[in-house]
Amino acid sequence: MFSLQHLFTTLAQSPLGHYMQTSRWAFAVIEMVHLIALAALGGSVLVLDLRLLGVTLKGESAAAISQDLGRILLVSLTAMILSGIGLLSEEALKCYFSPAFRWKMALLAAAVLFYFTLHRRAVQRASYESISLGQRTTAVVSLLLWFGVGVAGRAIGLI
Amino acid sequence: MTQPLLQHICQLFYDSPIGTAIRESDYAFSLIESVHVLAITLLVGTISILDLRMLGLVLREVPVSRIARAVLPLTWAGFGVMFVSGLLLFWAEAAKSYLNPAFRVKVVLLLLVGLNPLIFHTSVYRRVTEWELDHRSPWRARLAACASLLLWGGIIVAGRAIAYF
Repeated sequence: MFSLQHLFTTLAQSPLGHYMQTSRWAFAVIEMVHLIALAALGGSVLVLDLRLLGVTLKGESAAAISQDLGRILLVSLTAMILSGIGLLSEEALKCYFSPAFRWKMALLAAAVLFYFTLHRRAVQRASYESISLGQRTTAVVSLLLWFGVGVAGRAIGLI
Repeated sequence: MTQPLLQHICQLFYDSPIGTAIRESDYAFSLIESVHVLAITLLVGTISILDLRMLGLVLREVPVSRIARAVLPLTWAGFGVMFVSGLLLFWAEAAKSYLNPAFRVKVVLLLLVGLNPLIFHTSVYRRVTEWELDHRSPWRARLAACASLLLWGGIIVAGRAIAYF
């Protein structure tokens, strides 16, 4: 029978998991990749949502900015997920039972879902002149969701 | 006193009441470290958008100076947060940091990454109005952009490595 815990056990016992658990530097190196991708992801989210809020780059179309910064976001998100799987395989069962990890995954799913649906729609509808309440709310929710992913992620190592 | 002067100063930081308080508190170090890690996005994430624009990889239709005006205040805010939180972390660990090879590399890279905008803003950026509409900035601006991306990447790598020595 399929269970999530079984999946995590399989990951921990996979060749990747073995490699991550025994190598002296693999975990550190993958962490560095994860952090560099975090910088790129956070920067693109921040500037894009500040544009939605009308704080920066007011003269530029939100859709055009979103198209370009969205590319940075997707590339860095992919790098974060791939490096994240590497980190996870080193301590998969610990993560499975960690409340911080569960929060992080829930918030990540919410942030990604929000980005591709309501956030995308708000970006397409954004105008130059007036910034609607809905647009502001979308930007704030997006910032809070991504920030939550970061805080929960940091907490995995602490609690 | 047989220690080098810098080591002596680091030891004074380490032994001071503030350094000791951060080191011995149950939560202080972890909390400050969390701020330091998450503020990477504010500092490095924003400046890299300007770097990528000058390389012609994103937002080519937006003038370089407009991007600079949008991101540099965020970058400076990020720098403020990173500097204060980083100083507090150093305060708690100064005597160990002094001997840590990764910390030494990080300090050198930080000095270099500070030199980069000094050169950039007093040279090619002075004539930004002549080239800010170009999809790809002049080679000296692109060189500064590459240096910025590589140095900040190196600083993140060296910073993370501090914990492993």
